[in-house]
Amino acid sequence: MNNLENILIKKSENSHRVKRPTQTGFSSPATHYAEPRIDLNEVLVTNSSATFFIRVVDDEHNEVGINTNDVLIVDKSIIPKRNQFALATVEDSFKIIKIDETSLSELNIWGTITYIIKSTL
Amino acid sequence: MIGLVDCNSFYASCEQVFRPDLTNKPVVVLSNNDGCIIAANKEAKALTDIPMFQPIFKIRKLLDENNVTYFSSNYTLYSDMSRRVMDTLMTFSPRVEEYSIDESFVDLGCLKIDDYNVIAHNIKNTVHKNTGIPVGVGIAKTKSLSKLANKYAKKIQLNNNVFVVDSEKKRQHLLRNLQVKDIWGIGKKHTIRLQNNGIHTALDFANMPVAWVRKEMTVIGERLWRELNNIPCLELETEASAKKGIGTAKSFGYKLTDYSLIEEACSYYVAEVADLLRQQKSLASQIEVSLQTNQHSSIDKQYRNKIYMNLDTPTDSTLKLTKEALKGLRQIYKNGYRYKKVGVNLTQLVHQNEVQTNLFANPHKSESECITRVIDNLNSKFGKNKIKVATVGNRTKEWALIKEHRSPRYTTQWGELMTVGSSLCKPNKLVF
Repeated sequence: MNNLENILIKKSENSHRVKRPTQTGFSSPATHYAEPRIDLNEVLVTNSSATFFIRVVDDEHNEVGINTNDVLIVDKSIIPKRNQFALATVEDSFKIIKIDETSLSELNIWGTITYIIKSTL
Repeated sequence: MIGLVDCNSFYASCEQVFRPDLTNKPVVVLSNNDGCIIAANKEAKALTDIPMFQPIFKIRKLLDENNVTYFSSNYTLYSDMSRRVMDTLMTFSPRVEEYSIDESFVDLGCLKIDDYNVIAHNIKNTVHKNTGIPVGVGIAKTKSLSKLANKYAKKIQLNNNVFVVDSEKKRQHLLRNLQVKDIWGIGKKHTIRLQNNGIHTALDFANMPVAWVRKEMTVIGERLWRELNNIPCLELETEASAKKGIGTAKSFGYKLTDYSLIEEACSYYVAEVADLLRQQKSLASQIEVSLQTNQHSSIDKQYRNKIYMNLDTPTDSTLKLTKEALKGLRQIYKNGYRYKKVGVNLTQLVHQNEVQTNLFANPHKSESECITRVIDNLNSKFGKNKIKVATVGNRTKEWALIKEHRSPRYTTQWGELMTVGSSLCKPNKLVF
């Protein structure tokens, strides 16, 4: 128990630099080529302070390919364009709406759906 | 120029963002333990029958009759929404001071701006668009004036809650229309003293000779006087300073007589404050434990006490702090009372790197500190409180705060996301 420091579980750090091996002292040939690993947040969330995740809980939107348990990524800062999907408030509740020419001005848009996350399991 | 951005009825607004059915409806938020109303939106405030700070059980019927929706406070949600507002403000200026959970100062002086009215409306609209939170904006040359400008805009509800002091005429107009009690930093005592001297409006105060203000109200009053006269004296504080003490004191959901339950609650709060201590990279040299009965109860016998426990060396170890806290609790606990609240306060904090140890102290991290690190890592990986000190126990329900009406933590928990669809069944267990 005295040597607890040796068995300390380290949280992985967000670093992509290759460490110099302590045994040989030689750098890895990959030293100058390492890059940070792909992070989904980079592409799925452009404006994090305006982005919200929303769970779909029924099959009302099956015809547009949105099913129960899908998670919508909604960006409130984006104004939806034609043929894009938006989350709108209709009669006191949330509805998923595909924008066509006429609807935008009459709709109460909450945010624009930017991605739909589905599980295939 | 400095802008003061203030969220309207912040707690109620946070709830309304996720509840379109509550738009333009009265909403109130209750204090910890659902004790009383601590926040109300415009619509709820307009119902003058509803008394603020009244115990909820006394006014529940009144709320229901007036169709007021009430929520237990959901600070997890409010702090995330506050962060979003702050981050949005950062897109307007690199220098933002978070003054409180719902108010920020924004330095606009470092930007090239022709018309501050345009930027004020832009800030207001962008924050609302991004977060759903309505805000008011006051802009002026000094912090005190921008705070007053914001207050004035809200008071008269003109120009969409925006007021910009960009001319001498507007400064005079603003100060003429506000009372001395409205000035940021002037309390009741000074208000009475000023009124007794015939100083009623903020303009009266700003027009007094500076020597008089200094004599009557010290250098703090003089600073205010200067600020109202367009001379900046208060700097923007953009770096949050490390807290000098970290504490929590929460009521139990029920009155407790069982010592072992109080011990559990106490251990739980120690773990909570020790976690905050480590987050700001400090160590505590002293821990204060307090215990009290319900002072509002007329039937209970009353008792309250507190004790300070000194630690040999400053520490951030949950294990060590828990041990000391429980030792203290044991000393102040007296049999035969119905306890309502236990408090834990870490004081005499020092930074991790600036510890003064005594001659015989071991410079290496102690075993208990290493264990604490391991626990932190496991909890950050597997979830809050997965690993805890045994004295925390498993009977949280028997003492924890009552939060019967808390809304989901929409933005921080996968299991509590906002939902779309008519189905009422909530897939609470489906998470990624």
